[in-house]
Amino acid sequence: MRRTIQALAALSLISAAGAPAYAAEPVVIGLEIPLSPPGDPAAGQLIRRGADLAVQYVNTVMKGVLGGRPIAVDVEDTQGRDEAGVAGYRRLVSEDHAVGVTGFFHSSVNIAVNEVAKELGVATIGTQTSAADITAKHYEVAFRTHAIDPIRVAAFIDFARKKGFKRISVVAETTDYGIGIANEMTKQNEEKNAGLTLQQITFDHATTDLTPQLLQVQAFKPDLVINVGVGQPLDLMIDQAATLGLLPKTPMLVSYDAPVRPQYWQLHPKDGAGIYFVAYYSPSQQLSPLGQWFAKAYQAKYGEPPVYSALNGFGDVAILAQAVDQAKSTDPKAVVKALETGTFKSWAATSVTFPAASGPYWHNWSPPLLILEYTAPNQSWRDAPVIITHTGTAS
Amino acid sequence: MIFTWQLFAQTVIAGVSIGVLYALMALGITFIYSIVRMINWAMGEFYMIGSYLQYLLVVYLFGPGLWYVALPLSALAVFLIGTVIEPILIKPMFGAAIERKDDYATVVTIALLLLLRNLATGLAGPYQRTPGSNLPTIMLGPLPQSGARFAAFVCGLAAIALFYLLLKKTWFGMALRAAAQSRLGVQTAGVDVLRLDQAAFGIGVALAGIAGALLAPVFFVFPTDGIVTTVKGFEIIVIGGLGSIPGALVGGILLGLVESLGAAFISSPYQNVYGFLLVLLILVIRPSGLFGERARLA
Repeated sequence: MRRTIQALAALSLISAAGAPAYAAEPVVIGLEIPLSPPGDPAAGQLIRRGADLAVQYVNTVMKGVLGGRPIAVDVEDTQGRDEAGVAGYRRLVSEDHAVGVTGFFHSSVNIAVNEVAKELGVATIGTQTSAADITAKHYEVAFRTHAIDPIRVAAFIDFARKKGFKRISVVAETTDYGIGIANEMTKQNEEKNAGLTLQQITFDHATTDLTPQLLQVQAFKPDLVINVGVGQPLDLMIDQAATLGLLPKTPMLVSYDAPVRPQYWQLHPKDGAGIYFVAYYSPSQQLSPLGQWFAKAYQAKYGEPPVYSALNGFGDVAILAQAVDQAKSTDPKAVVKALETGTFKSWAATSVTFPAASGPYWHNWSPPLLILEYTAPNQSWRDAPVIITHTGTAS
Repeated sequence: MIFTWQLFAQTVIAGVSIGVLYALMALGITFIYSIVRMINWAMGEFYMIGSYLQYLLVVYLFGPGLWYVALPLSALAVFLIGTVIEPILIKPMFGAAIERKDDYATVVTIALLLLLRNLATGLAGPYQRTPGSNLPTIMLGPLPQSGARFAAFVCGLAAIALFYLLLKKTWFGMALRAAAQSRLGVQTAGVDVLRLDQAAFGIGVALAGIAGALLAPVFFVFPTDGIVTTVKGFEIIVIGGLGSIPGALVGGILLGLVESLGAAFISSPYQNVYGFLLVLLILVIRPSGLFGERARLA
């Protein structure tokens, strides 16, 4: 699937009627998001909402880039599959001449695309991909604005300590994301001498019946189950764990922010309460002026406050637009250089930079990581108590 | 991996229960093949249509308490859709102009698969949904089963049994079996074999629709929810034998057992691989499947 959001650019043109500079050809930013299964299409749609509003923001508030050229976002559906992601990236670069590509949600896709990106030289920004390898390979073109595995796992360990959990089952899908988290748990448990007894169970992402795995979990008698599924497996695990009686007896921590989506309570009206989950944004958090503009525009357009996927989709497109301005060029190499050396405004109160730091922190900016708990059925995630707030470091 | 006898028993029951559901998914494929002599690659999409219809009927009309009223309506609707599609897309296969009937059926049903899947994404969006269920959790021996899954298990067994009786004990079933043995022979006996094809196609896709409707609250509803049906369905018909109903049941249960026991006690990430290993094993020792008829060579 391939669509160009030219309409928004055109709308911006209309709203800025009388500004002849906008007659210029739009600067294209690529958006690689999952819009169909086996990817996580709900996440893709949220990121796309953010990117759509970023186009509006850049073209109206920033008055375009490079002295008045509008931006447009070209969208490719990765389907959560590496090959679709790579093909989409190639199309965005060779046919649409994208100055940078962002929106990535599935780590495996981001990793596969980066292997091609290092040859083609057009920057990638991981919007919600957390596998360490995305930035740990230190590719010049690879950037990210999301919590990486070590930070996420450090938050899990902090959480376990705070709650006094000692026996933990990590049930992870066999993707770069799932395996990365599971291995990082083992590593940090040893390095930090955390004293956790871990059970690691991995499963194929295409598996529909997780009963055999969950029976093993039940036999292990854990204090906590960490659900490292993405999309359908995440929801199946909640459902099937509830059937076996694991939930609510044994608490479950969902490894990313899927439970903030409206469909969560439709899928788990009875079993959704008591779940802990990761979030990267809380309404109590201070937003930058960009973020405030976005929150207002998002509320007006969609009738609800934004969630993190949309915020970061917005932020990443805005960052690429600022990078083009700072580079004073649409040359991808100049944009990469600008991303590495520049300072950018995004939705968060703090500025975004991509330092050439060590390990997976290379070209990485991370939002704070929160762990929330649903304490009642149909609770809004905005009202869910924050159990811990973890800064964007692995310590 | 942890091993206790109770865990083993629970895993076996889990394998059998998912196996019956797999068998239900495979039944339509094997039935259509046995009568119309074609592989319907779009079978998973009829499963998907059944799941969406069940979702719509339960959520907007009947409520979760009357899921069993929605079930036959969903199946009937899928049957009607099948009987409309068959004369348009499948019937031309038997015309003189089509020389390579298998190739025709493959291309047409794959095109249908893509059309239906994209149509569902366009109409319903890519999100997961569930019709929900009010049924309480039930103990199947030492294994708790969700009410919806247990209902699917029981209804699946009942559907397989009813379908078996229909084929064995009724005149219509006799005509279908006769067509399966010799299309020419049944035509000479005065049966309109093309009309029979239409009915068989409708019944076959309705079986997939029943599976989709029954499993909607268990595995959720989304545009590609039928992929599993297609993949598992073909594994099962290789194991059990093309065209055999007992073969579909035994093949489904064997597949469920192998996957569950393998995932629990050997290595979990290879859960889907164990099924394919079983398929390979069957192909080596009995290429026609456990209950399939060996081809007669002239």
